[in-house]
Amino acid sequence: MLTLLGMFYYICLRRRSRSGTRGEVLTSRRAVECNQRTLPLSVEVKQYAKEVLDFSSHYGSENSMSYTMWNLAGLPNVYPSSGDFTQTAVFRMYGPWWEQCSSMPQPFPRMPLSFHSQDYIELGFEEPVYPTALEVLETYHPGGIVQILACSLNPFSQNPPSDVRWEVLWAGKPTKSLNPQARQFSPSIKQISFATNLIRLEVNSSMLDYYTELDAVILRGVKERPVLALYKTPMLDMSDLSDGEDEDRELEACYGRQAEDAKRGTGNGYFDKLPYELIQLIVSHLTLPDLCRLAQTCKLLRQHCCDPLQYVQLSLQPYWAWLSDASLGYLQRCCTMVQRINLSWTGNRGALTVTGFCSFIKACGQGLVCLELSCCHFLTEACLEVISQTCTGLQELNLSSCDRLQPQSFGHIAKLTQLRRLVLYRTKVEQTAILNILTFCTELKHLNLGSCVMIEDYDAVASLLSTRCRSLLSLDLWRCKNLTERGLADLASGCRLLEELDLGWCSTLQSSSGCFQNLARQLPRLRKLFLTANRTICDSDIEELAAGCSALQHLDILGTRMVSPASLWKLLRSCSGLLLLDVSFCSQIDARVVQELSAHFPAVAIKKSFTQ
Amino acid sequence: MISVLSYGRLVARAVLGGLSQTDSRDYSLVTASCGFGKDFRKGILKKGMCYGDDACFVARHRSADVLGVADGVGGWRDYGVDPSQFSVTLMRACKRMVKEGHFTPSNPVGILTTSYYELLQNKIPLLGSSTACIVVLDRQQHRLHTANLGDSGFLVVRGGEVVHRSDEQQHYFNTPFQLSIAPPEAEGDILSDSPEAADSSSFDVQLGDIILTATDGLFDNMSDHMILQELKKLKDSNYESIQQTARSIAEQAHELAYDPNYMSPFAQFACDNGLNVRGGKPDDITVLLSIVAEYTD
Repeated sequence: MLTLLGMFYYICLRRRSRSGTRGEVLTSRRAVECNQRTLPLSVEVKQYAKEVLDFSSHYGSENSMSYTMWNLAGLPNVYPSSGDFTQTAVFRMYGPWWEQCSSMPQPFPRMPLSFHSQDYIELGFEEPVYPTALEVLETYHPGGIVQILACSLNPFSQNPPSDVRWEVLWAGKPTKSLNPQARQFSPSIKQISFATNLIRLEVNSSMLDYYTELDAVILRGVKERPVLALYKTPMLDMSDLSDGEDEDRELEACYGRQAEDAKRGTGNGYFDKLPYELIQLIVSHLTLPDLCRLAQTCKLLRQHCCDPLQYVQLSLQPYWAWLSDASLGYLQRCCTMVQRINLSWTGNRGALTVTGFCSFIKACGQGLVCLELSCCHFLTEACLEVISQTCTGLQELNLSSCDRLQPQSFGHIAKLTQLRRLVLYRTKVEQTAILNILTFCTELKHLNLGSCVMIEDYDAVASLLSTRCRSLLSLDLWRCKNLTERGLADLASGCRLLEELDLGWCSTLQSSSGCFQNLARQLPRLRKLFLTANRTICDSDIEELAAGCSALQHLDILGTRMVSPASLWKLLRSCSGLLLLDVSFCSQIDARVVQELSAHFPAVAIKKSFTQ
Repeated sequence: MISVLSYGRLVARAVLGGLSQTDSRDYSLVTASCGFGKDFRKGILKKGMCYGDDACFVARHRSADVLGVADGVGGWRDYGVDPSQFSVTLMRACKRMVKEGHFTPSNPVGILTTSYYELLQNKIPLLGSSTACIVVLDRQQHRLHTANLGDSGFLVVRGGEVVHRSDEQQHYFNTPFQLSIAPPEAEGDILSDSPEAADSSSFDVQLGDIILTATDGLFDNMSDHMILQELKKLKDSNYESIQQTARSIAEQAHELAYDPNYMSPFAQFACDNGLNVRGGKPDDITVLLSIVAEYTD
């Protein structure tokens, strides 16, 4: 009896428990198949950006609300309308035009095929979440975003970070925009293992027809770490990009044991028959991570990969997220012959320290010719002092958007008397420092002082340029608020070799003073002239340009009411090499005129922006 | 003895706490707007808060409630420029500035200055001019800060009487101070006042104070006395009642403007200056009526 009962119970219980587990498995599998987002425990949080923390460039003026990067925070202002509105975030450049200028540096070799970024912006959100989706509201010429990354650091917390990691959520190629209409861009993002409230967007607008404009970014995520992978599966293979994480370890493996193994000799078979230079040539095509991996294969290849001749030109910008003091320390051993180095975007949020950077420069900087340090916020006056003392032969220095550098730091640049190219876009350089620099750096060919708001008297700068830097080829004075016709006249008479001149948004220049006509007569080599938003440009200026500057390739006369179609016809007939003509918001030039001109001169890209 | 002192301290603290209780609550402005454009025949459909060539805005921020009116100068129409574009863009810039917190409540002239310079940052070449009047209520301090450039203005009414009012700024008859952006060829000829030329004032407000901000279309057609009569009808601080009163004031001003026999304040002023005229002054009318109330979310 008891055994019968026992058996009965046993059978019933087992059947119940078995059906129970099967039911659970079925529901969870159904959940996976249906891509259910809402689990009973985690609620999806939708957030707009709280604050813009960092960015590489923008179109608007510092302290303004118009066309500046700070517009990307908060709720959208324009979306779903399309058009060129002031309340959006706009980057400084677009299209192929800037790359065509001689002021652009030579490209670095060994660029990984997956790295396309030209600009970036970092946004902080209120709550750290595990992201499930990210939407970017683009309101004009969309398609610029090429990479989205998330950081494990909470930018608003007071605690110092223990370990800062960047993870790529999505990566793509630069796309050609099909139309300028607004769109919501929401790519499938990768699931990551940490909660984040710091997102970085990297942008490349080189294939777009006009400035791309962003309105808002929406981050959707869950607060608790999701158990099952309930997201849309990523369509890209992330292994290419995530390998950079290991770069630090690989650099150590590559260069760490070099010294001890150099003594022991080994036979390498047929590799010993190949000439040294041939293997060097082959190895010179590898990207840096591949170079590190190759160095770990055998001692001969390690010798090749650590040969200083492989490090004559070094770009660490694609690896900005993974570069640290330790990496620079290891690279020091091979970079003894380095001439061009690109450290743009690296070292932020504690990755590089002043000591690490300075020791690297002291060790490898004697022969340095080109130093790119765009957006390097770790830089201090001490770093610039070390650069000026060590890199005495430096010819190119880029400190673009290093807006945390104190004004007194720039005085040291005057010691670099061989400088040919100097970029100080959006820095705090002051009057005395720049006058000092121009007095001593007489070889300057390319100078960028765009948005340098601390310089009080641009006329003095222009006059000094005309006397000291007569071989100047390109000058960027974007948004220089107090340049007048006096300074411009000095410039035109002194720097006769000028080919590129950016006077965009310089509101104090009046055409009635004849300064632009004078410019056109005295600078026949002009290839690029930006007169953006100078409301005084008139027909006589255009006619003088047509007569005097037949080599003109890029011209921007946005926002003037006084230029008529007739003078544009003259200009286009005379300047046969014209490639870019921006006539946005020129009230006499309507869409029909643009159409006629484009039909007659198909080689010229005529830009006419619109608001609605 | 010690217990008496400590008891006394407790009582004092409680009493003071009770007194400061009423002062520590934030104030806010409950605002309604109404207006009429001068010329209905234009038929241009404009977005809200724009009456003819006048424009206005109401904005809230954590620390302050801000409102403003701007009267676009109609003379630009003769040169092919739409006068409302300037006033509307100026008011929109002010509103955006307030919403994003780029202002100090005690400095309304600053709002005007930065908004005016933002207009120059627009790619579109704006032309035109307007007066401007900005009123800011500092919620916590219970203070009203104002800035006025030109002949728009505000009244503060307490207990049926006008306790504060703005002064008109005129260069000469019918030519008020104005912010302007001129075409480059006419830069010397066009009147252009700096935003720093605005009159500013600050004073404390109490619960129940009525603030009337309007363009000259109202003040030129209705005397203070007539306005006060209308405001007497305002019984409570509901949005609906305020809206109704604002509408009745604006409607009355609009009717009087087209009355050829009525001795309007504008006609009175003209007579005082030797011009023999009667009747109202047809003009765009914008009225923003606010009551100081307690802040509720």
